[in-house]
Formats: sequence, structure tokens, C-alpha cells
Amino acid sequence: MPLLTLILLVPLVVGLMCLLVRQPRVMEWLNVLAFAVALGLGIRLLPQVLGQGVVTEWKEFLYADALSVWMVLLISVVSLGSSLYAGRYFRRDLAAGVVTASRVKEFFVLTPLFATGMFLVVLANNLGVMWFALEATALSSVLLVALYNRRTSLEAAWKYVILGSLGLALALFGTVFTYAAAIGQSGHEKLPSFNWSHFMVVAGQLDQRLIKLAFVFVLVGYGTKAGLAPMHTWLPDAHSEAPSPTSAMLSGVSLKIALYALLRFHILTTQCLATSFSGTLLLCFGLFSMFLAAPFILVQTNLKRLLAYSSLEHVGLICAGIGMNTPLTIFGALLHMGYHALTKPVLFFATGNIHQTFHSLEMRVIGSGVVKALPVTVLLMGLAAVAAIGLPPFGLFYSELMVLSGGFAAGNTVISVLVLVALVAAFCGILKQLTRVLLGTPKVARTSDATAWDGVPAMALLLGGLLVFSVWLPAPVLRLLHQAAGIIGGKP
Amino acid sequence: MTMTPPTHEVGSQLITLCAAIMLVLQLLLVVQRMLLTNIRLFALQSFMLAAIATIVAYYYSATHVYWVAVLTLIGKVVFLPRLLTRLVRRINIIEEIEPLINAPTSMLICGGLTLLGYIVARPFTTLDKLGNNTLAIAITLLLTGFFLMINRRKAISQVLALLTVENGVMLAAVALTTYGMPLVVELGIFFDVMVAVMVLGILVYRIRESFSSMDTSKLTQLRG
Repeated sequence: MPLLTLILLVPLVVGLMCLLVRQPRVMEWLNVLAFAVALGLGIRLLPQVLGQGVVTEWKEFLYADALSVWMVLLISVVSLGSSLYAGRYFRRDLAAGVVTASRVKEFFVLTPLFATGMFLVVLANNLGVMWFALEATALSSVLLVALYNRRTSLEAAWKYVILGSLGLALALFGTVFTYAAAIGQSGHEKLPSFNWSHFMVVAGQLDQRLIKLAFVFVLVGYGTKAGLAPMHTWLPDAHSEAPSPTSAMLSGVSLKIALYALLRFHILTTQCLATSFSGTLLLCFGLFSMFLAAPFILVQTNLKRLLAYSSLEHVGLICAGIGMNTPLTIFGALLHMGYHALTKPVLFFATGNIHQTFHSLEMRVIGSGVVKALPVTVLLMGLAAVAAIGLPPFGLFYSELMVLSGGFAAGNTVISVLVLVALVAAFCGILKQLTRVLLGTPKVARTSDATAWDGVPAMALLLGGLLVFSVWLPAPVLRLLHQAAGIIGGKP
Repeated sequence: MTMTPPTHEVGSQLITLCAAIMLVLQLLLVVQRMLLTNIRLFALQSFMLAAIATIVAYYYSATHVYWVAVLTLIGKVVFLPRLLTRLVRRINIIEEIEPLINAPTSMLICGGLTLLGYIVARPFTTLDKLGNNTLAIAITLLLTGFFLMINRRKAISQVLALLTVENGVMLAAVALTTYGMPLVVELGIFFDVMVAVMVLGILVYRIRESFSSMDTSKLTQLRG
């Protein structure tokens, strides 16, 4: 069965089908179905990749190794959760008159296309195709950010699309430089293949100066899309103005997809130069992002922006872990990607419920004691928040511990201490902010209403997954992660 | 290189000439404030890019680069300028209000950026590849495009700035690789640019609609 082709086709076809469908219910279930099927296909792909190392289709146009499969799983899980949540969310918005039916349709058409773009990023072998797939994700998500058509959401969308496009233009420059590095080096072909797998084979013969220059361009370019500081300024705006299901996808996977693209170039650069040039740069940007996020978390007044800055901090940690370039830190960073993808959407879904009940995201307006009004939501949100700040028994604790202990073991004491300081700062910030809002006594008496169970299936699915995988990681997944870490670490 | 045709010299000079014209047009874009003229300048710049692609395709008998020329001609010389012109007419802004930095200073800054472009490109410029000034001009287009983006407040001018950056990338692709990128990548980039401008157009229209319904002066709030 052509698994890779199917993974791309299923969401694409569903997205186009939703164009023809009228009823929101049907669109909703088509979306859920598409991502459930994609998840199933991803799971089917897993043993194949474990067995063969690499699965290719269409004369190596599509290429999946352990790293791609890991990303495929993350994309489909988060999209599934997001589409499960979206139905109830938009029905409530429609009833409140916040959105029109055509906008809701826009959501159900664009979300599968957004996901298709992400799948193509991780499954494309050609680095140029990877670029345009990433641009496609940016373009499909920008209209999702602007969905509410408020002034602020238009401003956020504009910032997102302009900064994103500029970043991607830089990344395209880097991609062109990378291609140029192979010209005249590999057997004097007129048009050498631009496949990543081909470049890894000829990495030793590439023009080193061009590869170096290319990586700097790609780092700034894809780094913008991944939300690395100081190119992150679009991130809190877009995350806070988008509808909650979209925020969950942006934060849960979209950032990591850009990071994935960056990683491919990091692996290539390291292979070509045989130095830690790209790793050190990743480490610097990662640490800077973590340190920039912490103070913004402490002083934040908007609930969703708080979560966005927390994502910035997590992306920074992942970058720092990969930048330290030891087997344990890379493994920890990859694991962290997965746990974060299961945690952050839950927080965004819960925030969506709070937003719809209190009609504001400003913590001053929401006041305190949300737990009295939305007990179930707050319970789940509290659990996810405990996970997000890195407390046991949740997985993020273990992955953070791996990055830290790997760093200490490799003798990167200063860096590891810095990471620890940033983590503790973010820990205190989120704990302080969220306890004030969620717990305590409300100023006015509020009774819980009929919408108390809204979004619970989606949240329970992701949170349940997080809990299970925190204590028990299935053997194939563990092997997949080891393989993926091996690809990044340069060992087969 | 083994396959140097006798006319290589002429081709190389023609390409340098076209690239220089692209740079001049970019500088004109920086000082020109009429939106419609800006769009025409961009169309002309894209035309020069298509010309460069044609020259490359001809002198190096690289047939697939003809496709790049045709796509540029259809997309960036005809379709996008038309789309943008229609948008400008529809939302009725003819002239850019005061750019942040005045024209003489902008010119000076762009002169500095051009110098910077040449310095950055210097180590990568080899004489055996065609048009050895082309990479420097490509990087200059990128830098001045960024400057244009910062200097302008109107959404449409920012879209134009983005498109000139994109022209710079395509120029770099031709300059550095001689034959451009594989066709599948070129096609992908082409469609992405088209869709990007359409999406930006939708946003510009919505911004205009939503802000004018309340207060048109608020339009300038939405910068960068």
C-alpha cells in the first residue's frame, strides 16, 4: 500500500470535499475521519520504517525515515484532537453570532489543507519542495488566524504573513545557496538532484563556504516560522488571535514542523562541515528564546499570549537540546516535542472554553475562581498545566530531565545551568499566573452551565495519551525515537 | 567549464546589463510614492528577470529555463500587476502617505545596502560563472526589499517589497546555479507566490473594509 501517498492524499481530498459539503456536522466528521485515518496510516508506517530504515515512493520523491514518521504521528494526533474540539467550539461561536457559517466552512476546508502542507514538509525528499510545502502551510494558516475578522485578528494575520513570508524568502535564499553548493561539485551534472538523501551522500564534496552561508539564511528563515527569538514577534499575536483549535495546531505542531525543516539543514551542515557550527547556533537561539520567554510569561496579562510564550520556551528547550548534540539531549528533545504536542493543545482548548464563557482572554477581566464556573475544564487544564511546567508524573518532566542530565554529563555545565534557570523562571511564572486565575473564590457567584462538558473528548484524548505515554512508551516508539535521534546525531 | 560557447561573453554582458536595470528599478521603487507607478516598476523589474532567464536558456541551451521565463512573464509581468492594480483601484488609495524616511535619505541608505551586497557576494563570485555581478545584485535586492518593507506603511507597498525580495531570490538562483533550480521546485515557488499575493490581497481588502467602516485613519495602526 502506498502509505506515504495516502497520508498526503487523505487530508487533501477531505479538504476539497468540504468545499462541496453544506452541513457543518458533515464537514466536522469528515475532518475527524481524515485525521483518524492519517493517524492509522502513520502507525502502519512505523514498523515499515523500523524494519527498512527508509521508505520511499514515487522514485524517492517522497521519503520517510524515523524522524519523518515521528513528525507524521505528531501532526495527525494534534490535528485529530483539534478537529474533535472544533465542532463544539464553532457551534457555540455560531450560536453566539461571533462567526458566520461561511467562516466555519473556511475553517474545515483550510485545516486539512494546512495539515496536508505539514505532511508534505516532513515527507518531501527534495529540499525545494520542502520549502514550498512550508510556505503552503503558512498561507493556509494565515486565513485561519484571520478567521474572526476582528481588527486585532487582522493585524495579527498581517504580521504573521508578512514576517512569515520574509522569513521564508530568506529560507529560500538559503535553499538556493545549498543547491548551488552542489553545482559543479558532484560529477558535473547539469542539474544535480536536490534530494536530501542525495545531498547526504555527497555532503563531503559540497562547497563548505556556501553551505555555511546557507545555514545562516535557513536558520533565520525557518527560525522565524519556528518562532525562535528574536524573530518570534508574530507568534504571541497569531496564537492569541486565532480560534482555539487553530492555536492548538500552530503551537502543537506547526512550530515543530518549521523546526524539522531547520533540523534537516542542521544535519546536512554538520555532515558537510564536520564541526558543531550549526549546533552551536541552534543552541544560542534556543537559549535566547528560553530567556526571552520567561519574563514575558511573568508579566503577561492575556491567557492565550501566556500559553504562546510558554510554547516559545518549549521550542527554545528543544533547540537547545538538539544544539548540545549528545545522544541523550537529542533523544530528550525529540521526546519533548511529542509530549509538548500532547500537552499544549489541551491548554488551548481549555482556554477556548474559558474565552467562550467569559468573553475575554484578559486575566484581569476573567478574575479568579474559574474553577467554580467550569470545573471539568479547569481540572483538565490544571493537569495539562502541571504537565507543561514539567512536574512528574508527566512526560515533560522526564524529557526536560534528559536534556539537563545529558548536558551535565557532556560537561556543558554552564549551558545546563542556564537552561535550568530559564525552566524554573517559566515554571514559577505559569504557576503563579494560572493558579490566580483558575483557583480562588470568584468575585461574583457563577453557576456552572450546560456547556461544562464542552471539548472534553478532545482534551481527554490528548491528556490520556500524555498520561499513558508518560509512564509507558511502547517499544516500537522507543526504537523509532532512538533511530530519529541517530539521524540527527549523525549516526545511522 | 568545458561547454563554454563562443558567445558566452555576450551573454554574460547582457545578463549583467539586465541585472543592473533590475537594481535601478529597485531604487526607483524606493523613491517613488505613487502606488500604480510602483506596480508598473515591479512589472518591469520582473520583465528583466524573465529576460535574464531567456538569455540563460539561450546561451546555455538549457531548455527548462525557458519555462522559468514563461512563468515569470505570465505571473509576475502580467497577472500579479493586474491583480494589484485592480486592488488599488478598488480600495481607492492612489498615493502612499509619507514614508517613514524621506527620499534622499532612503537613497543614501540603499547606496550603503548595495555596497553591503557587493561585500557579501565578493567571496562567492567566480569569473567562470556567468554574470559575475548578478549575485551581488540579488543580495542587494533582498536588502533593499527589507528596507522598503520597513519604510512603507501601506499594505500594498509591503506586498510589492516582498515581491522584489522574491525577484532577488530568483536572480540568485540563476546567478549561482547557472541553470536555475529543478523544474518541480520552480513550479512550486511560482504557485506559492501567486497564492501568497492572492491571500495578501484578501487580507488587504478585509483590513480596508473593517477599518474604514469605523475609522480610516486607523489604517496606519496596522504596521509591520
